[in-house]
Amino acid sequence: MILALALVISVLFGCGAFLLLKRDLIRMAGGIILISNAANLFIVSAGLSRGREPIYPLPAGERISDPVVQALVLTAIVIGFGTVAVLLGMIYRTYTARLAKAVDEGDETGRTPMSMPPEDRVAD
Amino acid sequence: MLLLLPLAITWFGAVALAPFDGRRRAVGVVAVGVMVAAFVALVRLGITVWTSGPVEMVAGDWPAGIGIRLRADGLGIAFALISLGVLLAALAYEVLGGVHERSLPSLVLFMSTGLTGVFLTADIFNFYVFFEIAMTASFVLATYGKQVGHLRAALTFMVVNLLGSVVFLAGVASLYHVTGTLDMDGVAERVNGAPTASVLLIAVLIFVAFGLKLGLFPFHSWVPLVYRDTWPAVAAMLSAALANIGSYGLLRFGAGLMPRELSLTASGLIVIGSLGILYGAIQAVSPRTAGEVIAWSSIGQVGYILVALGIGGPVGLTAAVLYSIINSLNKLVLFLAVGLRGWLVGAAFALAAFSVAGVPPSAGFFGKVAIFRAGADADRVPLLVLVVVGGALSLIYLFRIYQRDYWARNHAAPPSPLGARVLVLVLACGIVFIGLWPEPLLALSANAAAALTGGGS
Repeated sequence: MILALALVISVLFGCGAFLLLKRDLIRMAGGIILISNAANLFIVSAGLSRGREPIYPLPAGERISDPVVQALVLTAIVIGFGTVAVLLGMIYRTYTARLAKAVDEGDETGRTPMSMPPEDRVAD
Repeated sequence: MLLLLPLAITWFGAVALAPFDGRRRAVGVVAVGVMVAAFVALVRLGITVWTSGPVEMVAGDWPAGIGIRLRADGLGIAFALISLGVLLAALAYEVLGGVHERSLPSLVLFMSTGLTGVFLTADIFNFYVFFEIAMTASFVLATYGKQVGHLRAALTFMVVNLLGSVVFLAGVASLYHVTGTLDMDGVAERVNGAPTASVLLIAVLIFVAFGLKLGLFPFHSWVPLVYRDTWPAVAAMLSAALANIGSYGLLRFGAGLMPRELSLTASGLIVIGSLGILYGAIQAVSPRTAGEVIAWSSIGQVGYILVALGIGGPVGLTAAVLYSIINSLNKLVLFLAVGLRGWLVGAAFALAAFSVAGVPPSAGFFGKVAIFRAGADADRVPLLVLVVVGGALSLIYLFRIYQRDYWARNHAAPPSPLGARVLVLVLACGIVFIGLWPEPLLALSANAAAALTGGGS
């Protein structure tokens, strides 16, 4: 079980890191989603113990699984969900701003508005 | 109750102001008023902490050990005061100059809640939650201005910092795994029973996470990109208030929770910090825009904090706290001054620049003296040379900005509102005032460092 979780976490993190380095903003967001879910799985695995569900009345003499990690991961999932929503909103805002700029000025960089905006050299 | 007050004031203020249009002057003034109230509540809490020791409370009246603890000690209060003060100044500056976006006042208040919470919690997971509140507000704040450049800066900032948060979360989960508790005191107690190798690995994870936040030397690549393109007031908030999470985190998790691992890696930290000081200062000489120069400068300045942390002991930790506070003030004034045009502004910029270089009688002088003394106590002569060289280089690069922006530029642009200019000048005079009467700040930092090493409050 430990090996399986470790493999899943590493594959998720690896795919996420690969996508994060893409120029395309949607893929970048996908990378963030995968990485934050790898972290969530990591939290679950931090309290990995086989046992009964921790609900009162606790059965005497049996191992109880750790309830704290469940609470932690629930919080982390909610936070991750919120940040991804903000990130997608920001990507959409970038898309519309660049589209407007491209229509105004003509975009010669050849990149789609869905990619990371190019760096303009700041004029002195 | 006293402990909850600064958190509650900013939180309810933020929620109440969220539906209103922040561009209206009245909304901005109310937001500044809320910040002032929270600041006063924090000072009140600070007085209690300084006179009668740390204030604690357990959320929801749970028995200790189960409930989540909030705790204000010298270190937390010092960082909370400087961060809230910086946010208050930056918000007042933006309100005086005219707010451009409706969400700004409420977002600044949300960020204050998150920052105050980070500094006043005694639970490592709660630390993460407050940290994310502050970060999420800052992600949205970073888009302030809504030009493509601002958006690019905000995206870079957000992606790098989300990665940092994930690394920190992994560190928290691992700490929970090896100690079985999330309470800071519990972690500090039990972490010594865990195998050194695994704790060292966790310490590295947490160091990387806070290094990213702070923009330390090997993790600095996002800093110049972001600070160059964000709005000056927002850049001031990010670099002078939000980055404090990084230095506080290094102090709290390094010196407070894992002192054994800190002393094992001390030489490494000093080397990384020294490289950062040199690299930041040398890079800062070449760029052309003021924002970029200050960003590179800040990479060098946080190197001093890391060096002081590496030296450790009461002297080193006091120097680290003192330097973080003074560095926040310097960057606040530098970034705010860069956003303005007109006379008085150049003077404010020059005062802050002297403080960065450590010229007396500015506050920066005492920061440099503290680092110098810590280096001398530890018999590290190369460090003493480094402090002097770093100071000289910072004087050079900051005066290159001064030459370009205040001497050479023709002042065809209309001057900025007088209120904002006077505010920046007052802040700059504050830096000189601290330099003339440094005892309160020195006592504050010594008290904060004592909270880490166990003595005092």
